[in-house]
Amino acid sequence: MNLFPERNPKLAWREIDGEAVIISPEDSHVHELNETASLIWTSADGRHSVDDIADAMAAKYDVPLPVAKADACELIEMLSAKGLLVSPKQPEVQAGA
Amino acid sequence: MGTQASAQGSLRPLNISIGRVPLSLLIPGPHLREKALSRYREFTADSEGGLPVVLRSDAQSARRPECKDPNFSYVLDDASMLLDSFGAEFHGVRQEYALDSLLRILLTMVLLPQRGFLLHAATVVRDGRAYVFTGRSGAGKSTVASLSPAGTVLTDEISLLKFTDGRWQAYGTPFWGEFRAAGQNEHYPIAGIYTLVQSAEDRVESLTTKEVIRALLPCVLFFTSKVEANEDLLRLLLGFVGQVPCERLHFRRDDAFWKVIAA
Repeated sequence: MNLFPERNPKLAWREIDGEAVIISPEDSHVHELNETASLIWTSADGRHSVDDIADAMAAKYDVPLPVAKADACELIEMLSAKGLLVSPKQPEVQAGA
Repeated sequence: MGTQASAQGSLRPLNISIGRVPLSLLIPGPHLREKALSRYREFTADSEGGLPVVLRSDAQSARRPECKDPNFSYVLDDASMLLDSFGAEFHGVRQEYALDSLLRILLTMVLLPQRGFLLHAATVVRDGRAYVFTGRSGAGKSTVASLSPAGTVLTDEISLLKFTDGRWQAYGTPFWGEFRAAGQNEHYPIAGIYTLVQSAEDRVESLTTKEVIRALLPCVLFFTSKVEANEDLLRLLLGFVGQVPCERLHFRRDDAFWKVIAA
Protein backbone atom coordinates (compact mmCIF):
# COMPACT_ATOMS: atom_id res chain seq x y z
CA MET A 1 0.00 0.00 0.00
CA ASN A 2 1.25 3.44 -0.96
CA LEU A 3 1.24 5.29 2.38
CA PHE A 4 1.79 8.67 0.77
CA PRO A 5 0.15 8.38 -2.65
CA GLU A 6 1.24 10.74 -5.36
CA ARG A 7 -0.21 11.58 -8.74
CA ASN A 8 1.74 10.33 -11.72
CA PRO A 9 3.53 13.49 -12.94
CA LYS A 10 3.33 12.23 -16.53
CA LEU A 11 -0.42 12.81 -16.61
CA ALA A 12 -2.37 15.94 -17.45
CA TRP A 13 -5.61 16.57 -15.64
CA ARG A 14 -8.32 19.04 -14.79
CA GLU A 15 -11.18 18.87 -12.37
CA ILE A 16 -14.57 19.26 -14.05
CA ASP A 17 -17.66 19.64 -11.87
CA GLY A 18 -15.82 18.04 -8.96
CA GLU A 19 -14.58 15.07 -10.96
CA ALA A 20 -11.10 14.57 -12.39
CA VAL A 21 -10.52 14.08 -16.10
CA ILE A 22 -7.04 12.73 -16.69
CA ILE A 23 -5.16 12.47 -19.97
CA SER A 24 -2.28 10.10 -20.46
CA PRO A 25 -0.36 12.00 -23.18
CA GLU A 26 1.75 9.02 -24.14
CA ASP A 27 -1.20 6.94 -25.30
CA SER A 28 -3.94 9.63 -25.45
CA HIS A 29 -6.02 7.56 -23.05
CA VAL A 30 -8.56 9.54 -21.06
CA HIS A 31 -9.50 8.49 -17.54
CA GLU A 32 -12.55 9.85 -15.79
CA LEU A 33 -12.83 9.52 -12.03
CA ASN A 34 -15.95 9.66 -9.94
CA GLU A 35 -16.28 12.08 -7.05
CA THR A 36 -14.76 9.78 -4.43
CA ALA A 37 -11.81 8.75 -6.56
CA SER A 38 -11.35 12.38 -7.50
CA LEU A 39 -11.03 13.30 -3.82
CA ILE A 40 -8.20 10.82 -3.52
CA TRP A 41 -6.65 12.01 -6.76
CA THR A 42 -6.62 15.66 -5.76
CA SER A 43 -5.29 14.77 -2.29
CA ALA A 44 -2.53 12.55 -3.65
CA ASP A 45 0.29 15.06 -3.54
CA GLY A 46 2.91 12.86 -1.88
CA ARG A 47 2.51 14.70 1.41
CA HIS A 48 -0.92 13.57 2.56
CA SER A 49 -0.97 10.07 3.99
CA VAL A 50 -3.62 7.44 3.49
CA ASP A 51 -4.85 8.29 6.99
CA ASP A 52 -5.13 11.96 6.04
CA ILE A 53 -7.15 11.05 2.97
CA ALA A 54 -9.36 8.67 4.94
CA ASP A 55 -10.02 11.46 7.43
CA ALA A 56 -11.09 13.76 4.62
CA MET A 57 -13.35 11.08 3.14
CA ALA A 58 -14.94 10.29 6.50
CA ALA A 59 -15.66 13.96 7.05
CA LYS A 60 -16.99 14.63 3.57
CA TYR A 61 -19.22 11.58 3.30
CA ASP A 62 -20.07 11.26 6.98
CA VAL A 63 -18.97 7.62 7.25
CA PRO A 64 -17.06 5.86 10.07
CA LEU A 65 -13.31 6.25 9.78
CA PRO A 66 -12.60 2.49 9.36
CA VAL A 67 -15.03 2.35 6.46
CA ALA A 68 -13.47 5.42 4.87
CA LYS A 69 -9.99 4.01 5.26
CA ALA A 70 -10.97 0.69 3.71
CA ASP A 71 -12.52 2.52 0.75
CA ALA A 72 -9.48 4.77 0.44
CA CYS A 73 -7.11 1.82 0.40
CA GLU A 74 -9.16 0.04 -2.23
CA LEU A 75 -9.33 3.09 -4.46
CA ILE A 76 -5.63 3.87 -4.06
CA GLU A 77 -4.77 0.35 -5.10
CA MET A 78 -7.07 0.63 -8.09
CA LEU A 79 -5.61 3.99 -9.16
CA SER A 80 -2.08 2.66 -8.66
CA ALA A 81 -2.85 -0.41 -10.75
CA LYS A 82 -3.96 1.87 -13.58
CA GLY A 83 -0.73 3.82 -13.33
CA LEU A 84 -2.43 6.99 -12.20
CA LEU A 85 -0.64 7.02 -8.85
CA VAL A 86 3.09 6.45 -8.71
CA SER A 87 5.02 3.99 -6.60
CA PRO A 88 5.24 4.47 -2.84
CA LYS A 89 7.82 6.89 -1.63
CA GLN A 90 8.66 8.75 1.53
CA PRO A 91 6.92 12.09 1.99
CA GLU A 92 8.94 15.24 1.55
CA VAL A 93 10.27 16.45 4.90
CA GLN A 94 10.15 20.16 5.47
CA ALA A 95 13.53 21.67 6.33
CA GLY A 96 13.79 22.27 10.06
CA ALA A 97 10.78 20.09 10.76
CA MET B 1 16.77 30.27 -38.73
CA GLY B 2 19.57 32.43 -40.07
CA THR B 3 21.74 29.51 -41.03
CA GLN B 4 18.91 27.80 -42.81
CA ALA B 5 17.73 30.91 -44.60
CA SER B 6 21.14 31.45 -46.11
CA ALA B 7 21.48 27.77 -46.89
CA GLN B 8 18.31 28.02 -48.93
CA GLY B 9 19.99 30.65 -51.05
CA SER B 10 17.70 32.98 -52.91
CA LEU B 11 14.55 30.91 -52.46
CA ARG B 12 11.51 33.12 -52.51
CA PRO B 13 9.21 32.17 -49.64
CA LEU B 14 5.63 31.19 -50.20
CA ASN B 15 3.78 33.26 -47.60
CA ILE B 16 0.50 31.90 -46.38
CA SER B 17 -1.78 32.59 -43.44
CA ILE B 18 -4.10 29.99 -41.94
CA GLY B 19 -6.25 31.03 -39.00
CA ARG B 20 -4.21 34.21 -38.69
CA VAL B 21 -1.06 32.17 -38.32
CA PRO B 22 1.41 33.57 -40.87
CA LEU B 23 3.81 31.01 -42.26
CA SER B 24 6.69 31.56 -44.60
CA LEU B 25 7.33 28.36 -46.55
CA LEU B 26 10.77 27.89 -48.05
CA ILE B 27 10.29 25.14 -50.60
CA PRO B 28 13.19 23.87 -52.67
CA GLY B 29 12.32 22.65 -56.11
CA PRO B 30 9.77 24.19 -58.47
CA HIS B 31 7.54 21.14 -58.66
CA LEU B 32 6.64 20.98 -54.97
CA ARG B 33 6.41 24.74 -54.80
CA GLU B 34 3.88 24.81 -57.63
CA LYS B 35 1.88 22.08 -55.94
CA ALA B 36 1.90 24.02 -52.68
CA LEU B 37 0.97 27.25 -54.40
CA SER B 38 -1.99 25.52 -56.00
CA ARG B 39 -3.06 23.84 -52.77
CA TYR B 40 -2.82 26.96 -50.62
CA ARG B 41 -3.79 29.53 -53.21
CA GLU B 42 -6.70 30.84 -51.15
CA PHE B 43 -4.42 31.27 -48.15
CA THR B 44 -1.50 33.15 -49.67
CA ALA B 45 -0.56 36.31 -47.83
CA ASP B 46 1.18 39.44 -48.99
CA SER B 47 3.02 40.13 -45.78
CA GLU B 48 6.34 38.52 -44.96
CA GLY B 49 7.66 37.76 -41.51
CA GLY B 50 5.65 34.64 -40.88
CA LEU B 51 7.03 31.67 -38.97
CA PRO B 52 9.79 30.26 -41.20
CA VAL B 53 9.08 26.72 -42.35
CA VAL B 54 12.07 25.28 -44.18
CA LEU B 55 11.51 22.18 -46.27
CA ARG B 56 14.44 19.87 -46.75
CA SER B 57 14.45 16.76 -48.83
CA ASP B 58 17.01 15.04 -46.61
CA ALA B 59 16.26 12.89 -43.60
CA GLN B 60 15.88 14.18 -40.08
CA SER B 61 19.45 13.23 -39.20
CA ALA B 62 20.58 16.25 -41.17
CA ARG B 63 19.00 18.61 -38.68
CA ARG B 64 20.76 21.90 -38.29
CA PRO B 65 23.38 22.00 -35.54
CA GLU B 66 21.72 24.73 -33.49
CA CYS B 67 18.47 22.78 -33.27
CA LYS B 68 19.67 20.10 -30.91
CA ASP B 69 16.82 20.65 -28.51
CA PRO B 70 13.67 21.40 -30.49
CA ASN B 71 10.54 22.39 -28.60
CA PHE B 72 8.69 19.75 -30.54
CA SER B 73 9.50 17.03 -33.02
CA TYR B 74 7.33 14.57 -34.88
CA VAL B 75 7.94 11.73 -37.29
CA LEU B 76 5.32 10.94 -39.88
CA ASP B 77 6.22 7.97 -42.07
CA ASP B 78 9.24 9.09 -44.11
CA ALA B 79 8.84 12.74 -43.20
CA SER B 80 9.50 14.56 -39.96
CA MET B 81 9.40 17.99 -38.42
CA LEU B 82 11.29 19.99 -35.86
CA LEU B 83 9.96 23.11 -34.21
CA ASP B 84 11.85 25.56 -32.07
CA SER B 85 11.47 29.21 -31.21
CA PHE B 86 13.05 30.26 -34.52
CA GLY B 87 10.82 28.28 -36.82
CA ALA B 88 10.18 24.83 -38.19
CA GLU B 89 12.01 22.40 -40.40
CA PHE B 90 10.24 19.76 -42.43
CA HIS B 91 12.44 16.88 -43.53
CA GLY B 92 11.85 14.24 -46.15
CA VAL B 93 8.89 16.04 -47.74
CA ARG B 94 8.69 14.97 -51.35
CA GLN B 95 5.06 15.56 -52.19
CA GLU B 96 2.29 17.91 -51.19
CA TYR B 97 0.38 15.40 -49.08
CA ALA B 98 3.26 15.09 -46.63
CA LEU B 99 3.57 18.87 -46.56
CA ASP B 100 -0.14 19.15 -45.82
CA SER B 101 0.06 16.64 -42.97
CA LEU B 102 3.06 18.31 -41.37
CA LEU B 103 1.43 21.73 -41.65
CA ARG B 104 -1.56 20.42 -39.70
CA ILE B 105 0.75 19.08 -37.01
CA LEU B 106 2.70 22.31 -36.90
CA LEU B 107 -0.47 24.36 -36.58
CA THR B 108 -1.64 22.38 -33.56
CA MET B 109 1.51 23.47 -31.74
CA VAL B 110 1.49 27.08 -32.91
CA LEU B 111 -2.21 27.57 -32.25
CA LEU B 112 -2.22 26.28 -28.68
CA PRO B 113 -0.62 29.35 -27.04
CA GLN B 114 -2.79 31.53 -29.28
CA ARG B 115 -5.95 29.96 -27.85
CA GLY B 116 -6.71 27.91 -30.92
CA PHE B 117 -6.98 24.28 -31.96
CA LEU B 118 -7.79 22.04 -34.90
CA LEU B 119 -10.82 19.80 -34.66
CA HIS B 120 -12.06 16.96 -36.84
CA ALA B 121 -15.23 18.80 -37.80
CA ALA B 122 -17.19 20.18 -40.69
CA THR B 123 -18.13 23.85 -40.45
CA VAL B 124 -21.06 25.36 -42.26
CA VAL B 125 -21.80 29.09 -42.36
CA ARG B 126 -25.40 30.19 -42.03
CA ASP B 127 -26.58 33.77 -41.55
CA GLY B 128 -23.03 34.88 -40.88
CA ARG B 129 -22.37 32.40 -38.10
CA ALA B 130 -20.42 29.18 -38.05
CA TYR B 131 -22.03 25.87 -37.11
CA VAL B 132 -19.43 23.27 -36.24
CA PHE B 133 -20.26 19.56 -36.61
CA THR B 134 -17.81 17.18 -35.04
CA GLY B 135 -17.46 13.47 -34.62
CA ARG B 136 -15.21 10.59 -35.42
CA SER B 137 -14.85 9.18 -38.89
CA GLY B 138 -18.25 8.07 -40.15
CA ALA B 139 -20.22 10.26 -37.74
CA GLY B 140 -21.65 12.32 -40.57
CA LYS B 141 -19.38 15.34 -41.09
CA SER B 142 -19.23 14.85 -44.84
CA THR B 143 -22.95 14.14 -44.91
CA VAL B 144 -23.69 17.44 -43.22
CA ALA B 145 -21.37 19.22 -45.63
CA SER B 146 -22.97 17.55 -48.63
CA LEU B 147 -26.42 18.62 -47.44
CA SER B 148 -25.38 22.27 -47.23
CA PRO B 149 -25.67 24.79 -50.06
CA ALA B 150 -22.59 25.38 -52.19
CA GLY B 151 -20.36 28.08 -50.79
CA THR B 152 -21.53 27.70 -47.23
CA VAL B 153 -19.13 24.94 -46.21
CA LEU B 154 -16.03 26.38 -44.56
CA THR B 155 -14.47 22.93 -44.33
CA ASP B 156 -15.73 19.37 -44.45
CA GLU B 157 -12.90 17.81 -42.43
CA ILE B 158 -10.64 19.97 -40.27
CA SER B 159 -11.99 23.06 -38.52
CA LEU B 160 -9.73 25.68 -37.03
CA LEU B 161 -11.30 27.21 -33.93
CA LYS B 162 -9.62 30.17 -32.30
CA PHE B 163 -10.41 32.86 -29.79
CA THR B 164 -9.87 36.14 -31.58
CA ASP B 165 -11.35 39.61 -31.27
CA GLY B 166 -12.98 38.68 -27.98
CA ARG B 167 -14.88 35.63 -29.17
CA TRP B 168 -14.49 32.12 -30.48
CA GLN B 169 -14.41 31.99 -34.25
CA ALA B 170 -14.16 29.30 -36.90
CA TYR B 171 -11.57 29.81 -39.62
CA GLY B 172 -11.48 28.27 -43.04
CA THR B 173 -8.61 25.88 -43.70
CA PRO B 174 -7.07 24.31 -46.76
CA PHE B 175 -7.46 20.93 -45.07
CA TRP B 176 -10.36 19.13 -46.67
CA GLY B 177 -11.69 15.62 -46.87
CA GLU B 178 -14.00 14.23 -49.52
CA PHE B 179 -14.88 17.64 -50.97
CA ARG B 180 -11.30 18.41 -52.02
CA ALA B 181 -12.08 22.10 -52.16
CA ALA B 182 -9.52 24.89 -52.01
CA GLY B 183 -11.06 26.28 -48.87
CA GLN B 184 -12.07 29.79 -47.94
CA ASN B 185 -9.76 32.07 -46.02
CA GLU B 186 -12.60 33.52 -43.98
CA HIS B 187 -13.74 33.37 -40.39
CA TYR B 188 -17.06 33.58 -38.63
CA PRO B 189 -18.21 33.69 -35.00
CA ILE B 190 -19.22 30.26 -33.79
CA ALA B 191 -22.95 29.79 -33.23
CA GLY B 192 -22.53 26.35 -31.70
CA ILE B 193 -20.77 23.04 -31.87
CA TYR B 194 -22.63 19.81 -32.37
CA THR B 195 -21.44 16.26 -31.83
CA LEU B 196 -23.07 14.13 -34.50
CA VAL B 197 -25.17 11.04 -33.98
CA GLN B 198 -27.07 9.62 -36.94
CA SER B 199 -30.59 8.87 -35.80
CA ALA B 200 -34.17 8.35 -36.88
CA GLU B 201 -35.13 11.81 -35.67
CA ASP B 202 -33.74 15.32 -35.58
CA ARG B 203 -33.19 16.67 -32.10
CA VAL B 204 -30.56 18.29 -29.96
CA GLU B 205 -29.50 16.98 -26.58
CA SER B 206 -27.90 19.06 -23.87
CA LEU B 207 -24.54 17.88 -22.58
CA THR B 208 -22.69 18.43 -19.36
CA THR B 209 -19.26 20.00 -19.50
CA LYS B 210 -17.68 16.63 -18.87
CA GLU B 211 -19.70 15.03 -21.66
CA VAL B 212 -18.60 17.73 -24.07
CA ILE B 213 -14.95 17.30 -23.12
CA ARG B 214 -15.35 13.54 -23.52
CA ALA B 215 -16.80 14.08 -27.00
CA LEU B 216 -14.28 16.69 -28.11
CA LEU B 217 -11.02 15.18 -26.92
CA PRO B 218 -10.90 12.30 -29.42
CA CYS B 219 -11.64 14.75 -32.22
CA VAL B 220 -8.96 17.32 -31.39
CA LEU B 221 -5.82 17.08 -33.48
CA PHE B 222 -2.99 16.94 -30.99
CA PHE B 223 0.38 15.34 -31.35
CA THR B 224 2.54 16.14 -28.36
CA SER B 225 3.02 13.97 -25.30
CA LYS B 226 4.26 16.86 -23.20
CA VAL B 227 2.24 17.06 -20.01
CA GLU B 228 2.22 20.87 -19.93
CA ALA B 229 0.84 21.07 -23.44
CA ASN B 230 -1.90 18.57 -22.61
CA GLU B 231 -2.76 20.57 -19.50
CA ASP B 232 -2.97 23.68 -21.68
CA LEU B 233 -5.25 21.85 -24.11
CA LEU B 234 -7.61 20.79 -21.32
CA ARG B 235 -7.67 24.34 -19.98
CA LEU B 236 -8.35 25.70 -23.47
CA LEU B 237 -11.19 23.26 -24.11
CA LEU B 238 -12.79 24.07 -20.78
CA GLY B 239 -12.70 27.74 -21.68
CA PHE B 240 -14.18 26.92 -25.07
CA VAL B 241 -16.99 24.83 -23.59
CA GLY B 242 -17.76 27.62 -21.16
CA GLN B 243 -18.30 30.14 -23.95
CA VAL B 244 -19.68 28.19 -26.90
CA PRO B 245 -22.99 26.29 -26.92
CA CYS B 246 -22.16 22.59 -27.23
CA GLU B 247 -24.87 20.00 -27.87
CA ARG B 248 -25.31 16.52 -29.27
CA LEU B 249 -27.18 16.51 -32.58
CA HIS B 250 -29.23 13.48 -33.48
CA PHE B 251 -29.92 13.79 -37.17
CA ARG B 252 -31.34 11.93 -40.13
CA ARG B 253 -29.43 12.00 -43.36
CA ASP B 254 -31.24 15.06 -44.67
CA ASP B 255 -31.11 18.78 -44.09
CA ALA B 256 -34.07 18.91 -41.73
CA PHE B 257 -31.66 19.11 -38.79
CA TRP B 258 -31.32 22.84 -39.38
CA LYS B 259 -34.83 23.26 -38.00
CA VAL B 260 -33.71 22.12 -34.58
CA ILE B 261 -30.43 24.01 -34.36
CA ALA B 262 -31.01 27.26 -36.21
CA ALA B 263 -34.65 27.90 -35.57
